[in-house]
Amino acid sequence: MSQTPRFAVVGHPNKGKSSSVATLAQNDDIAIALEPGTTRDSRHYPLSVDGRPLYELIDTPGFQRPRRVLAWLEQHSQSASDRPDTVRAFVTQHRDDPRFHDECELLTPILDGAGIIYVVDGSVPYSSEHEAEMNILRWTGRPSLALINRIGEQDHGERWRAALGQYFQIVRHFDAVHAPFDTHLGLLRSFGQLAPEWEAPLDEAINHLAEQRQRRQQQAMRLIATTLAAMLTRVQSATLPVGGNRDELEHGLRQRWREWQRQREQGLRRDIEGLYLHHHLQRQESDLAWEPGADLFSETTRRAWGVSRTYLATAGFGAGALGGAGVDALTAGHTLGAGALVGGLLGAAGSLYYAGKLDRLKLGPLSSGGQRAHFGPVRDPQFGYVVLGRALEHWYRVSHRNHAGRDPLTLGDADSHWLEQLSRSQRQTLQKALQNPPRDDGDSKRRRALEQAVSECGDAFLQWRTQTSP
Amino acid sequence: MPSSPLPLLLDFDHQYHRDQRQSADFLHRRDRRLALDYQRRHGSLPGQAAWLGEIGAASGPEQSKHADSAAGLRGWRRLRLLFMALGAVLGVLTMLGLLYYDGGRRINVTLIVAMALLQLLLALLTSAQAMVGARPWRGLFRDGVPRWWPLPEPAPMLRLLQPHLAARIAHGGGLAFGLCALLTLLTQVLIKDLAFGWSTTLQASAAGYHELMRALAWPWREWLPGAVPSLELVERSRYFRLGQGAPAEPALLGGWWPFLAMLWAVYAVIPRLLLLAFGSWQLRRRALALLRDHPGHAALLERFNTAYVESDRPADHEPLPASRSPGIDGGPALPVPGTLIRWAGAGAGQPGLARHLIQGDEPLVLNAGGAASLEQDAETLAEAAQCNRPLVIVTRGWEPPTGELQDFLTDARQRCAAGTPLILVPLAADGDPAPARDDTLAQWQRFALRQKDPRLSVAGFSVAEADQ
Repeated sequence: MSQTPRFAVVGHPNKGKSSSVATLAQNDDIAIALEPGTTRDSRHYPLSVDGRPLYELIDTPGFQRPRRVLAWLEQHSQSASDRPDTVRAFVTQHRDDPRFHDECELLTPILDGAGIIYVVDGSVPYSSEHEAEMNILRWTGRPSLALINRIGEQDHGERWRAALGQYFQIVRHFDAVHAPFDTHLGLLRSFGQLAPEWEAPLDEAINHLAEQRQRRQQQAMRLIATTLAAMLTRVQSATLPVGGNRDELEHGLRQRWREWQRQREQGLRRDIEGLYLHHHLQRQESDLAWEPGADLFSETTRRAWGVSRTYLATAGFGAGALGGAGVDALTAGHTLGAGALVGGLLGAAGSLYYAGKLDRLKLGPLSSGGQRAHFGPVRDPQFGYVVLGRALEHWYRVSHRNHAGRDPLTLGDADSHWLEQLSRSQRQTLQKALQNPPRDDGDSKRRRALEQAVSECGDAFLQWRTQTSP
Repeated sequence: MPSSPLPLLLDFDHQYHRDQRQSADFLHRRDRRLALDYQRRHGSLPGQAAWLGEIGAASGPEQSKHADSAAGLRGWRRLRLLFMALGAVLGVLTMLGLLYYDGGRRINVTLIVAMALLQLLLALLTSAQAMVGARPWRGLFRDGVPRWWPLPEPAPMLRLLQPHLAARIAHGGGLAFGLCALLTLLTQVLIKDLAFGWSTTLQASAAGYHELMRALAWPWREWLPGAVPSLELVERSRYFRLGQGAPAEPALLGGWWPFLAMLWAVYAVIPRLLLLAFGSWQLRRRALALLRDHPGHAALLERFNTAYVESDRPADHEPLPASRSPGIDGGPALPVPGTLIRWAGAGAGQPGLARHLIQGDEPLVLNAGGAASLEQDAETLAEAAQCNRPLVIVTRGWEPPTGELQDFLTDARQRCAAGTPLILVPLAADGDPAPARDDTLAQWQRFALRQKDPRLSVAGFSVAEADQ
């Protein structure tokens, strides 16, 4: 009979059982909601693909009275052959006993066929007090794996490994809060090795999870491109009445324009967090700290995520040359490359001229009600780089954050610039896409160009962060 | 759900914008399930129209009844009807004006020819303008609909189709204009004796004018020679305003009408008809292109074609327990004259700990819990109970209290004299001089509260403070 593999995550209270489940199930509800050591009932977290369950994780309460349980088992067992039955008898007899509620909860799924995932804290020294728990688990006769989850700073993993190796088929290190995604998959692969019939469904689940991660990155890049286009093309409009104060109107429009940009950026953050199922980061928004004063329009942000004037001139030249080369192509080369040269010079000059000129007020023709005033779209080529850099940094942090994490999300900085990972042609394509964002939903050509450029940036950023992260 | 591209585009776009407010996870779950279900029933994945139909059906009949496209297109349809009505009236009036004949002077053929050619020129300009997407009249529009036109909610996609929609309306009006003008011409021919002629200040010969007319009649001159003016007709119908008297053969001058009717039909009516058809085709093509390139389309196909992986939803849907209940404050001051019990090895690495917690030179220090057996716990309690003094039990504060400690406290209460204080002292991590954190301490305080033992308390303790 083909049954969905199930894994009961068990252990001493507060050793990271729920954290491990939270990370593997990508569910930050688990980590946020529970006070350490207060899981009282088993909770099942299936991984299903199109409604078809492939495996199930069971978060269980911790052992409360292991020495007493073991004493009971030893008292009622005759030989090694009756041990699983004795454990079952214990659960049957104590199911309604509130003292052994937690033990019954954690042993029931194991007796029903679940594999054992025993979690210990590798940052505290091994002590024989855990042997009662390990013995009880061994008595069940079920396939078992031990996870050494280092919660604190110290590392006693090797001693734990030596001890756990005597009780469990497989021993793995797993930091539920910091382990990278590949390690999650590796751990799931280990689950599949516990029993031959579990290998195929776990392998299938791993493939789906890997595809899901890839897809999420693509979706995130599309979200960033869409937001970038909206922010780059935003125009704030109002009517300047006859005799109205132009400066006052410009100030008001600038404020509203900037506020809109900030809100749009925040919206992107929420979308990215939702995409990666981090539903509770939102509550910690005040902690989602760029350093003070480092908002979208600050000089600090510009220094961190903007680009130099040399870069702007070079990329602007390249982007202009790309357009000018079209003219050369139209004349079948009779312009001898002058199109590319002129286009490049214009691109470079434009990039330098508008650098630092974030926005300005434009007034329409005078009509009976006054003049229509428009603020935006942004002219400063730096703006796109700043928005993009910040968005990629946030995406990277969120996508590499495990669901067991409770610390506030912090957005970092680095000595080098992520754009260095892009090739020259990629930089030019990016510059061109930022200079020519899609004007509306129907502008599919520009939209695809921007999406493609942002997608390349995502890969480059990933590579850069992998190199610069400690 | 509409199958015609334009309403389909508007409905799709409307649904796309509505879906922007949903989470990506929900959309994937909904659409993947819908696609699989549809595929099971029909053998293929749903198209955009079928997808909209399924979404509408899922929301109930009220939803599907109110097609979103209807509101967006209603204004344009009314505008089109208005233009056609205006065109019809103007067509009649214009032709009546052109054919105005008071018996004194002839109706100038050249004017009618010029008007027909002007119609052709306007029709071509309208289509060219739509093809290049120019909107010189865009100031009249706001969000895709005419400013003065009452509409509840303009559809954003309509803005992108404005040139084509406007061209279609213009061609509709132009067609009505041309048709009504033609009918007016024929009616006038039927009920009046019209005398046509031509006149010019230029030194043009009748032969030259005849050649021009023949050239204009090239589309029909081979198969309808009766509708081509003869040289004789051209010569005899020329007039000069200062010329004298009525023409020799008045009946001959009416012979222009077949040519004029064909000219009007071929240059004013048929081009409008063809360009209207072309405009409609172009509108449809543009709508199809927008549907194909719509940002929601690729995302929808991706949701259809990729498996929905769900891992974050618990199988049961009971809410997780509420986070934290408040703890209790306070605790006895240490040290006290009592017995120290190290639970599960807590404080084992801190030899000086006892003197900070217990008064006296040689405090009694015992061990229980952890690696000790239940029998050893019992012996510890028996020894402690003999002293008849408060029990100070140090624990590892970073670990939550377990049932075994609860059992131990229950046993201690039974064995010790009534009223003996039991003091729990949760330590910070091994060797850490700092006191246990407030939130750590709080869980111990709540544990103590749950024991319902008024003589059980929790005391915070810091080795660092004690050393000062």
